[in-house]
Amino acid sequence: MLGKLFKYEWKGLRFPMLIMLIVLAGTTVLTCSVIVTINPKFDETLTWYSVMALMLSIFLYYFGIIGCSLGVMLTIAIRFYKTCYTDQGYLTHTLPVSTQKILNVKLISSVAAILFLILAVAVSLLVIANVGVNHILSIAIAESNGYLTDTADLRRLFFQELSSALSEFETELGISLGTYIVYLVVYFIIAIIANTVTILGCVSLGQLYTKHRIIGAIAAYFVVQFILKILGYIASIPMYSKLMRADMYYEEYTAFGLMSPTMDLALFFSVVVAVIMYFINLHMLTKKLNLE
Amino acid sequence: MNNNNENPMAAQQDNSASVYPQQNSNPVPLTQQEGGSAYPQQTVSPSSYPQQESSAPLYTQKESGSAYTQQDQMYGGESVSAIPLLQLNDLCKRYPGMGSYMSVFHMNLIIPRGRIIGLLGPNGCGKSTLIKMINGLLTPTCGNVLINGLNPCAATKKVISYLPERTYLDNSMKVSQMVGYFADFYEDFSTEKAFQMLGALGINTEARLKTLSKGTKEKVQLILVMSRHADLYILDEPIAGVDPAARDYILRTIITNYNPGSTILLSTHLISDIENILDDVIFMKNGSLMLYTSVDAIRSQMGKSVDTYFREVYAC
Repeated sequence: MLGKLFKYEWKGLRFPMLIMLIVLAGTTVLTCSVIVTINPKFDETLTWYSVMALMLSIFLYYFGIIGCSLGVMLTIAIRFYKTCYTDQGYLTHTLPVSTQKILNVKLISSVAAILFLILAVAVSLLVIANVGVNHILSIAIAESNGYLTDTADLRRLFFQELSSALSEFETELGISLGTYIVYLVVYFIIAIIANTVTILGCVSLGQLYTKHRIIGAIAAYFVVQFILKILGYIASIPMYSKLMRADMYYEEYTAFGLMSPTMDLALFFSVVVAVIMYFINLHMLTKKLNLE
Repeated sequence: MNNNNENPMAAQQDNSASVYPQQNSNPVPLTQQEGGSAYPQQTVSPSSYPQQESSAPLYTQKESGSAYTQQDQMYGGESVSAIPLLQLNDLCKRYPGMGSYMSVFHMNLIIPRGRIIGLLGPNGCGKSTLIKMINGLLTPTCGNVLINGLNPCAATKKVISYLPERTYLDNSMKVSQMVGYFADFYEDFSTEKAFQMLGALGINTEARLKTLSKGTKEKVQLILVMSRHADLYILDEPIAGVDPAARDYILRTIITNYNPGSTILLSTHLISDIENILDDVIFMKNGSLMLYTSVDAIRSQMGKSVDTYFREVYAC
């Protein structure tokens, strides 16, 4: 039964996800196309236009990513509202499945959809970076007047520079880059789960305001975000305290040593809020359900 | 809306009473609420139900009156447990923001298997609230609902086939996909039966629901609900929004797909259209049970049709 719930949840999410992927692919292709048009051999005006076009496409790409991120969150919230609290709720809540299973499936599908989109954005960034690097290298070869014939040496040089920059970064950071990436990935996955639970919880909380359920959900979201902001300020106390100590007592901290307690505390608060929101959500769906 | 506890029957609730609506007496007291003392029919006991001399299963109440002997009943060779199909115990529902007014007020009721029962009453009398509580879509303020002896849960949803008064299907799906959806989730769903009925009505199974008219959507919903082999069918206003020809089809569908071991609880205002298919009727008013009796009893004792009787009882 769980598999069937996942099947229909994914069916419901796939069309809006497809639209967002098309938008992302479109802006990626556009940005790549503009990158390859830049050529220093152009006269000044053409180069100016080319650089302007690149800046515009980067803006477009940036807004494309923001739009997709907002889009996926809105899609998840709207789908949850529609299938649980509108007329379709009669179908959802009379299925021979427990409410907790329905909530869990919606939650897991939503998190999967967000992670999938993040993966798509990462792939798109890699594509753009690859196209940009290749284009710069090809210009360098063209400008070398036959001195350079292939990009292998340049690539080696490029990656040597990159590696040295990263090792400097590691020294500043205080931990190895690999560990930091793993930390960030785990951090963001937990943050995404917490954020999704919170959003779905806000949709459910909005149902208490029976006459204007959507406004109620938005109001609940702002209230929860306000609480999270206050907790965020509390979480930043260790960082500021370390900064003050560093300033007053000349104590030395690595960037990670400075940031990690605050990041950990902020994540802890998000998880606590998310756990509370999960049980609020479950309570609303089981005890306070009031379909029109 | 009345915000005080002004259910007219509030003073007359007597849950210890075990009085079946008195079919051998004049049910006129239904209209005598003002007096406050003559309203006896709040608690319906199955022990006195068999007055209908019909195929209703017999529930024998123990002398203590607290439990029912479980006898196995036979319907067409199938053994059916004698645990009441549906039992309401002191069921109440008060909505938030409604003060002390209760939409359903201390209802006690036992619904046996194998009946077609009309749930009748004026607008706002609590029919839909009651139906939602049976389906687990609302949590009772007090009391409980038992379906096959269980509180509403995933197991009870397996045996209830519910048609809400709303259009509740996913509009973006095709009719055939919706059939697949029901087949996936309900083990008792017959795909063959559904496609057969859809074909008989000439409904294009490849059409998306959003392209269908309201009446056609309602027919699709009814077909999906009636294609299940459930213990209890709950149909909330199944004929309200459709033309008379479609009404005939819907009623035919209900009768022809009705399994004798199952019970249909049918809520409607259009009594004249359905009274010929009903075995029993439940009258509700202001959240309370007014009367639970057989259609034959109303006809023979009152000399009236259910529709005429309903109009008298609920005359404004």
